[in-house]
Amino acid sequence: MDYDVIILGGGVNGTGTARDCAMRGLRVLLLEKADFGVGASGNSSGMIHGGIRYMLSDRHVTALACRDSGYIQRIAPHLLFRIPFLMPFTSRAEGATLRDRAAWYATEVYVGTYDLFQPLKHGKPSTRLSAEELYRLEPGLRPGLRGAVTLDEWGIDAFRLCALNALSARAHGAELRTWTAGREILAEGGRVRGVRFRDALTGEEGEARAPVVFNATGAWSPALARRSGAAVPMRPGKGVHLTLDRRYSNYGVILSAVDGRQMFVMPHEDESIVGTTDDDYYGDPDDVEATNDEVEYLVEGAASLLPGVRNARITRAWCGLRTTIYAYGPNEDALSREHQLHDGAAFGRAGLLSLVGGKLASYRAQSQEVTDRILALLGRAPVPCRTHEEPLPGGDEVPDPAALARAHPVAAPIAARLVYRHGGRAREILRLLEEDPRLGLVLCRDEGILAAEVVHCVRHEQVRRLQDLRRRCRLAVGACAGLDCARVAAQLAGRELGWSPEQVRAELADLLDAGWRERRPILDGAQLVQEELVRGAHAAAGAPW
Amino acid sequence: MVSPRAVAAEVLVVGGGMAGTIAALAAREAGARVVLVRRAPGATALSSGAVGVAPDPFALPGEPLRAARGPLEAARRLARLRPDHPYAVLGDRLEALPDALAFATRALAPLLAPPLERPRFLATSFGTAVPAALCQRSQAAGDLLAVGGALVVAGLAGHLGLDAALVAASLERYRARGGPPTFAVEVDAGLGELGLLRPHELARRLEQPGAAEALGAAIRAALPAGAGAVLVAPVLGLRPEAQVPERVAGAAGIAVAELLADVPSMPGVRLQAALEAALAAAGVEVVQGAIQGATGPGAPIAAGATEITAARWVLATGRFVGGGIARRGTLREPALGLPVQAAEGREAGVDLAARPAASLTGAARVGPQPLLSAGLRVDARLRPLDARGRPAAEGLHAAGAVVGGHEHASDGTGLGVAILTGYLAGRAAARPGGGE
Ligand SMILES: Cc1cc2nc3c(=O)[nH]c(=O)nc-3n(C[C@H](O)[C@H](O)[C@H](O)COP(=O)(O)OP(=O)(O)OC[C@H]3O[C@@H](n4cnc5c(N)ncnc54)[C@H](O)[C@@H]3O)c2cc1C
Ligand SMILES: Cc1cc2nc3c(=O)[nH]c(=O)nc-3n(C[C@H](O)[C@H](O)[C@H](O)COP(=O)(O)OP(=O)(O)OC[C@H]3O[C@@H](n4cnc5c(N)ncnc54)[C@H](O)[C@@H]3O)c2cc1C
Repeated sequence: MDYDVIILGGGVNGTGTARDCAMRGLRVLLLEKADFGVGASGNSSGMIHGGIRYMLSDRHVTALACRDSGYIQRIAPHLLFRIPFLMPFTSRAEGATLRDRAAWYATEVYVGTYDLFQPLKHGKPSTRLSAEELYRLEPGLRPGLRGAVTLDEWGIDAFRLCALNALSARAHGAELRTWTAGREILAEGGRVRGVRFRDALTGEEGEARAPVVFNATGAWSPALARRSGAAVPMRPGKGVHLTLDRRYSNYGVILSAVDGRQMFVMPHEDESIVGTTDDDYYGDPDDVEATNDEVEYLVEGAASLLPGVRNARITRAWCGLRTTIYAYGPNEDALSREHQLHDGAAFGRAGLLSLVGGKLASYRAQSQEVTDRILALLGRAPVPCRTHEEPLPGGDEVPDPAALARAHPVAAPIAARLVYRHGGRAREILRLLEEDPRLGLVLCRDEGILAAEVVHCVRHEQVRRLQDLRRRCRLAVGACAGLDCARVAAQLAGRELGWSPEQVRAELADLLDAGWRERRPILDGAQLVQEELVRGAHAAAGAPW
Repeated sequence: MVSPRAVAAEVLVVGGGMAGTIAALAAREAGARVVLVRRAPGATALSSGAVGVAPDPFALPGEPLRAARGPLEAARRLARLRPDHPYAVLGDRLEALPDALAFATRALAPLLAPPLERPRFLATSFGTAVPAALCQRSQAAGDLLAVGGALVVAGLAGHLGLDAALVAASLERYRARGGPPTFAVEVDAGLGELGLLRPHELARRLEQPGAAEALGAAIRAALPAGAGAVLVAPVLGLRPEAQVPERVAGAAGIAVAELLADVPSMPGVRLQAALEAALAAAGVEVVQGAIQGATGPGAPIAAGATEITAARWVLATGRFVGGGIARRGTLREPALGLPVQAAEGREAGVDLAARPAASLTGAARVGPQPLLSAGLRVDARLRPLDARGRPAAEGLHAAGAVVGGHEHASDGTGLGVAILTGYLAGRAAARPGGGE
């Protein structure tokens, strides 16, 4: 056999499991049909939360989730950011009714109980805010609120989390292939024996053999399973987020949508994120786009507490598919409340494991559980898991951005972005400037992208297409939509990867297409003006004439 | 409060881009007293600086560059394919295109090169060549069909903005269609640290005494044998009067041309400056300000600290970048509140303007997008129409990107439409009923 295990899917669960398997000495092949994180993982809210909602039913689930959040902070400290959430006390009536007060009290007690778990994830205890304190912190809130409680959580750049897990797996010997889809899971005599795959960029087709296949293809897995003679039951749900240019709140704000569902607005870099919708989705998972209804639903919900959002410049609408467990069955272990691991033996596919569900926040623990199962399937003796101890690439010795900016010819905010995205590797990136000062060119002033960062990502972070840089370093995802950066970045990547001029233009067009799909439903106001500019500036790159 | 200064004119032009300026100059030439109001530079100042009239929609992909039709024939062909396009809507008036282009060349004489019978094929920083009906003198020598010898793409040592090797390799592919052989060189003009400068900063640096000459000398030193012309990044100065292209070429001893620019575009900035100079030379009064909530020609209208009365108006306020069309939930025309149409294939209509953005765009980015080509609907005399298809106001004309049915990014007709419609609207406004 070529490998011990083949992992399908480069989301957080696929890459996390690849890392764990590789660290425990297995020969691993990971296939991702596009790029790391393009599915639910990168399009999630990116919250490493501590499972507050299980607190009343399964306290130990909350404890586990909080402990794991603490581990993620340990292995990727640079990639996490604190998001204090405010849960404002609203009231429909003029004066608060007894019922309102009871509800507020309940919230306070609930969040107060969560405080007991906060130390596990280095969170701060909750605080009750008076109305006056609330408005001092968040002057953009609509008038008439009675106060709030705070709730401390953590956020992460989920695209980079996936990439870092993948790169760590690679460093431990795993083989990674992006833009390569598993077409069929092959079986023989009741057991899986490997995978047939196709490389979308070269057209190469091939077979890889392994006694165990882990199907972590998220919303795509029912179709893949069906093609391979197995079944994976799930209920896919579409979730849409909006990105707003500039921050509309200083803190995360929890609020209710028109239908009473919980939503949030949270600051992220120099933007705000509004999320999310949640609706059943039965379409093609390769074809998800936000609709006008979903955009309006989110704007209305956010504006109910932050009226300024109505005038916001929406820069994009992005979606992901949740893979909700079809029906809650009996669970062997507590963490699998949120996920299930299906064994293919029932379909004559022994050695096939398929994951359904599985939150971003607990990816590490899930990966550990899956790796344990894989070792068992392979008949290997247990090897201890170390994914909670060994830092992810860049997660050790995170430098101080101000010191970096003093030592290198870059502005402090640029150094800060570099450290946020790359941790300790920011030093390597800045060393590139010593050999080639031209790489100090700031390609994007919105996102703080240096030419050197593009070169580093292309060289070391498994970039095969220009659009992969959207996920590695936020190329062309900001409000400017690639106006300044896209052409030069395409040329730099092309030079590194040996692209022909035609390939450079094709990659540039593909990058712009990806942005267009996210902006099409929201083009309005200043963002529509920007669209005219971006189209005008790039017309000559891909003009039919 | 200061009472506004009152100005009376025969023609009020709203908008100071290519369309508004040509309209004002054409009306002025026809003898009218003209006032032009403009808020700020618009799309014209951001354009590559070359004038796209129309690429020939029937041209075959590999056909020799020499086979390309002239602008008028290409525009006629486009009009046949696209009934909503201004070229089609204008009917017979499309035939005025050569006059309009000649008029624009005269009006912007020092900046623009005289037109040829055929389009010029001008190279871009992407390594493609696009057909242009008119271009700046600083761009003309780069015409792929005019280079006698090899075309040398010169990159600036120490600057990543232009990948000369990539552009040269890419242009080499036009050889099969009659283009020149191409080479890339890197030149070090000894101008100090350039690496981190942005295009406008480079342009300003080259305006300094001796800088353009130093670049020219460096080019001369780097020239391979057999070079016929040199292409450089479009950063040859911000002000036309600084004469950077001429100074560089003089010192290089060879024809030097700029590549077409993306954004920010220094040739676009120079084009806008030339437009302003032409307005001043022709005696058009220019008022800085914005027109809002106007009812139409005839009634006095405030613009900045000026109150203007004119019986005929030309609305040349541009599209989204210019501010002539805006969208806030639905598409609108802010100056006069005229109905906006969004064309969807053959089904153009004002009722589509209120549709959600996603349903006014197609999933494929490249190609016509009803939302991006939205604008006023006009008749053959460039009179904006109301929702029922009748002229919206007496004495009102429209020109340029505010007129819908075209978009430079998808059909290559940007400044060409601005020149033709500006020319026609300006003349029509100057001579009501006359000559028609
Ligand atoms: C809107 C939204 C918000 C969310 N917010 C949060 C949150 O804040 N916190 C949290 O913990 N969780 C959140 N989640 C849930 C979380 O994102 C997912 O549970 C988690 O990311 C699932 O990861 P995954 O690796 O299993 O799947 P995915 O990330 O979907 O990965 C599947 C991968 O498989 C690839 N693939 C598909 N077919 C093939 C094939 N045939 N061959 C090879 N590769 C293939 C896809 O391209 C994709 O990259 C959210 C989910 C959504 C949709
Ligand atoms: C990035 C980009 C690149 C392009 N490149 C090319 C190219 O290479 N070749 C080409 O042919 N075309 C190109 N185009 C298209 C071309 O630039 C436009 O079609 C053309 O410039 C439109 O000219 P205009 O005069 O109608 O509008 P604009 O140049 O936009 O001028 C509009 C004017 O109206 C003023 N205005 C608006 N509203 C008011 C108001 N209410 N009161 C007072 N003044 C007002 C504005 O301030 C401005 O002065 C490009 C477009 C873009 C965006």
